[in-house]
Amino acid sequence: MAGVGYTAFSKDSGVSTLTLACEAVLAALADAGLSPDDVDGVATHRVGDSAAPSVVGPALGLPPPSWYLDQFGGGSVSHAVVGQAALAVAAGIARTVVCYRAINARSEFRMGGTGRALPVGPEVQYQAPYGYVAPPQQFAMYARAHMAKYGTKSEHFGRLAVIQRANAARNPRALMRTPITLDDYLASRWIAEPFRLLDCCLETDGACALVLTSAERAAGLRHRPVLISAAAWGGGESFLSGPAPRDVTVAAWGGGESFLSGPAPRDVTVSSAAELAPRLYRAAGVGPGDIDVAQLYDCFTYSVIVQLEDYGFCAKGEGGPFVESGATALGGTIPVNTHGGFLSEGYVHGINHIAEAVSQLRGDAEERQVPGAEVALSTAQPGYVLPATSALILRAA
Amino acid sequence: MTVWGPRPVADRDSLEWWRRVRGHELPVQRCSGCGTLRFPARAYCPSCRGARWEWHATDGRGRVLSWIVARRRFAAEPEPPYTVVMVCLEQAPACVLYGAWRAGREPVPDEPVRVRFEDVPGEDLTLLAWHPAR
Repeated sequence: MAGVGYTAFSKDSGVSTLTLACEAVLAALADAGLSPDDVDGVATHRVGDSAAPSVVGPALGLPPPSWYLDQFGGGSVSHAVVGQAALAVAAGIARTVVCYRAINARSEFRMGGTGRALPVGPEVQYQAPYGYVAPPQQFAMYARAHMAKYGTKSEHFGRLAVIQRANAARNPRALMRTPITLDDYLASRWIAEPFRLLDCCLETDGACALVLTSAERAAGLRHRPVLISAAAWGGGESFLSGPAPRDVTVAAWGGGESFLSGPAPRDVTVSSAAELAPRLYRAAGVGPGDIDVAQLYDCFTYSVIVQLEDYGFCAKGEGGPFVESGATALGGTIPVNTHGGFLSEGYVHGINHIAEAVSQLRGDAEERQVPGAEVALSTAQPGYVLPATSALILRAA
Repeated sequence: MTVWGPRPVADRDSLEWWRRVRGHELPVQRCSGCGTLRFPARAYCPSCRGARWEWHATDGRGRVLSWIVARRRFAAEPEPPYTVVMVCLEQAPACVLYGAWRAGREPVPDEPVRVRFEDVPGEDLTLLAWHPAR
């Protein structure tokens, strides 16, 4: 990972997603010390809302790509895109790949369900008639099951929001930098019980890009390179019945819960991460105890709580008390979402989590730097809603 | 007064399921080979991959897996607040269904519930609501 680039984050960029993509790609290449003429691979993920690689490439006059990926999908595929790019480089198909996500998620295409057409999918017909149409509702449904089974409390969610806001206060890029208290959290308005406003991520206009190249080539570039130790992706939560009943606290298709019933019931308090994590750690040759800093996909507060458990940082069901203990704050045993995350920095659909992990491993995260960070975990949406998740383990060279 | 959200758009797999719900039946598919019950409708059994199956009418009983209370507007209808429950069927626990909640109180985790078929006035459509089994 040789470069990262950002646009400003805002509620109204005033420009197209194509412009955002180009700006972030150019910034990432400049950060790497590479030229657009060096790029031979381009990748993104999107849900029909943003500029495709086939448009961004020509718009920047990039050489004809030897590899590209235009992945349909939301946050669950964000890290898979980068994993695939790494495979392309490792296989020798591409030499230098830029991965970007450009999004006008507040001014044009609001993922949260306000002023947006219904999502397309076979499950929607069974949900929409009851007014169940948006991610805050879907994650609230799983959060409630976790609360019922493990005694997770609103105050646990609130503590997480407070910690991430404190991190964002140290991040000049973050949109929301004014510290909040637990009382502020508890006083914020209901969205979909058990979620309040401050359980929900921001909707952000902005873009973020990453430059990948071979480790040998990266060694001669501007920054201390960050190596991709392991990438894993796999299935997730689904509405389809499986072979047995489900525990709505766990997930199952390739480790994830599916909309389709499977052979067995599922535990909806477990996310796809529970299946993916052992493969990921095995591939990297590390365990959760070796991770110095973690950027965990935080579309909602609960998404982080369940991943803390399913990536093995604490026992199943202990995610809430683990956050309450301060373990995930800066200075804690495993600082999480040091940039403030989607809750406070901005929502760039997973790519800004990877960029923050890179920053931490380079040691240039300034006021929010985790001292001596050598190994980082960065994760995608943990496989609720869409049956997939993905994650990366990165290491300082 | 009952207000529903965006109407369902059936696909080629689900059309017959919706027809049966219209007739106040709550069916799932049963694999003719291994007996595994499945929902939503699709061609192959996820257990034995058999392609032969028949409709199996359930007794409409289930258990509450979870629920939410929508407190802001998410679609033109319904008007908030409203409660949506996620239910697994008693006779087919792997099968999960959503629906409106009909009780003067919030659901309780794991509580037994029973389906109620609610005909949408003026439309050729029946939707699912759940209420305490008592």
